[in-house]
Amino acid sequence: MESPLNDQQYIQKLEKENRILQKKLSRSEINRAHLEQNHENQQKLLYRIISNLETSLDELQQSQLQLIQSEKMSALGNLMAGVAHEINNPLGFVDGNVSELKKNLQNLIEYIQYLEHTMPSLGNDVIEARGNLDIEFLLNDLPNMLNSMEVGCDRIRNISNSLRLFARTDTNSKIQANIHDNLDSTLLILKYRLKADNSRPEIDVICDYGELPEIACFPGQLSQVFMNILANSIDMFDETAVDKSYEYLQGNPQQITIRTRLISPEKGEPKSVEISIRDNGKGIPEDMRLKIFDRQFTTKDIGKGTGLGLAIVQQIVVEGHNGSLKMTSEVGQGTEFFIRIPM
Amino acid sequence: MFNVIVGHSNDPDSKFAIEEVLEQCQADLADDHPQAALLFAAPDFDHDLILRAINQQFPGIHLIGGTSDAELSSVLDFQEDSLTLTLFCSDEVEFYASVGRELSKAPFSIAQQTAEEALTHLTSSPKLCITIPESLTASGVDMLQGLTKGLTTSVPIVGGTTTDQWKFQCTYQFFCTEILQDSVPILLMSGNLSVGYGVATGWTPMGKKGVASKVDKNILYEVDHQPVLKFYKDYLGAIRPSPEYRLAVFESEGESWYVRTSNGHYDEEQGSITFFADIPEHSFVQVVGADRDDIIASTQYSMKTALENYPGNNPSVALIFSCTGRMQLLGTRIHEELAIAQAILHRDIPYCGFYTYGEISPLGKQGESRFHNESFVTLLIGVD
Repeated sequence: MESPLNDQQYIQKLEKENRILQKKLSRSEINRAHLEQNHENQQKLLYRIISNLETSLDELQQSQLQLIQSEKMSALGNLMAGVAHEINNPLGFVDGNVSELKKNLQNLIEYIQYLEHTMPSLGNDVIEARGNLDIEFLLNDLPNMLNSMEVGCDRIRNISNSLRLFARTDTNSKIQANIHDNLDSTLLILKYRLKADNSRPEIDVICDYGELPEIACFPGQLSQVFMNILANSIDMFDETAVDKSYEYLQGNPQQITIRTRLISPEKGEPKSVEISIRDNGKGIPEDMRLKIFDRQFTTKDIGKGTGLGLAIVQQIVVEGHNGSLKMTSEVGQGTEFFIRIPM
Repeated sequence: MFNVIVGHSNDPDSKFAIEEVLEQCQADLADDHPQAALLFAAPDFDHDLILRAINQQFPGIHLIGGTSDAELSSVLDFQEDSLTLTLFCSDEVEFYASVGRELSKAPFSIAQQTAEEALTHLTSSPKLCITIPESLTASGVDMLQGLTKGLTTSVPIVGGTTTDQWKFQCTYQFFCTEILQDSVPILLMSGNLSVGYGVATGWTPMGKKGVASKVDKNILYEVDHQPVLKFYKDYLGAIRPSPEYRLAVFESEGESWYVRTSNGHYDEEQGSITFFADIPEHSFVQVVGADRDDIIASTQYSMKTALENYPGNNPSVALIFSCTGRMQLLGTRIHEELAIAQAILHRDIPYCGFYTYGEISPLGKQGESRFHNESFVTLLIGVD
């Protein structure tokens, strides 16, 4: 058992404890400063990590978008190429036979005319049958029917070619292509959507094409760009038609104007091709204009829009072609997209 | 006979502290006369006063030691700003202390000469070399290779480098009654001695690996042919590189790696960072991270490895060299590290140690000693 401390020992003990406490306090101050510095650094690191994560997430979403887009275009391209091929085969023999049929029919008509000319009296039965069967009308109408079938075949061929052009499977590198072909094929594919229906008259499409050379691009991707912008305008026209009368829309036609032109190099900008697509629809409110290129942003009803359309457009134009994409809009007047693809 | 006595005082007053320590030691020594000593002291003490007091009490004692970031012992457990003295008494073990001075001029050859000179004073082959060298002026790897060469036999070299409480400005080494800088004091032990050691870290490499494409010993200039500061900036942004941010070094593409800690010096113009020890050119480097549970778990591993490697059953003392970076990271949980050490060690085994800027020990049971950072080294000594 320890002997109790005398006064002097007790004071010495207290003095020692005091020295230790003072030292611990001073060390704690140093440690606190160190911890504060560490904390500040950790905070900076945390912000940096979060910021890096956000960037990575953005890049990941971008990659996913590209992947989805690429997969979709590839599948669509194969489908369209397959459909076009399958249409072209039967179309070939229908179209070929129609041409032959026209020639044969002409021969047959000439033969009938020759027969009637050389044998003026064919007998009552034949004359009666000629009247009953309306042979006169047939002889006049059959060539028209065949001409109409030829026109139909031409239209099917155009659609088939447009499908192939639209869905041209892009390679890893750009190829020389005529932008107007892409625009025309896209319009042809959208033709059924432009036509009049119960709620609105046909949408006018005005093509004001300039003189453009072929440019190096990914034509399939550009078709997708034109399709997304045009389809958005058509959706908007369908939507606004609900609140307007048919007569009003006849007097104030819904219009899409497509212009192309060559842009000379200026202020460090390269020579480029500009495609502008304008509609005279309801326009986009100011608060939405900055958001329309964001992924997941859509004003359409659930299930109707993916919110990816214009994000894909931006990605294809800006990242895929080093181009630029601008949009101007005025509420009540319409919206115009300007796509520039450098040459 | 091999008797080890430990004294420990946390009195910040140098005079009272050394008096208290000597009093504790004297009480345990009885009639034994210590031949060698290890002194670990916080930088703020009057080291001259302390060394003179020890030498007065034990004239001619073979003492080495140095300044430390914190001290631990079986007397007072973990303490900051304290003083520990470990005394060795034996009639079976021979001790000899020596020192290499102006280490930075030629770390390898000075360390080699120091070891060679010390060997001539022993009558039998050494079984252990304890060293408490300078941390800031020279590469730890060069110094260690010099000692290894000088000792000629496969003597385990174990110890830790001196510190200055995270200021990275100047540290001190102790040799007999001298207070030195830029030196490498060593204590050789020979005779009927058993030793066991274990080393562990608790860190995990993370992030991208880069190749150390331009290095001059412990100055790393480029990783993947880019200034190393840029490599760090990729992770740290505007935060300046400091000892808190370590690198894992893989000498080959295998799994084996060790940690290198920056001593806080970097050159903005050249984009280089200075480390406590060499990084081999063309080695792979990677940022490391750790959590406190892993750090504490590594203590257990180090202790158990030392016990497994110890050839006998009853070590007389455990010496501990733990990185000051671990101390910073563990904070108030440092006591858990100590509790694990105490639980694994036999309750009667005295222990003593300090928190270092770099640890030295072999990686396995055999093999040359290596320089480590961010590790916990356990050294068991006895005469079973």
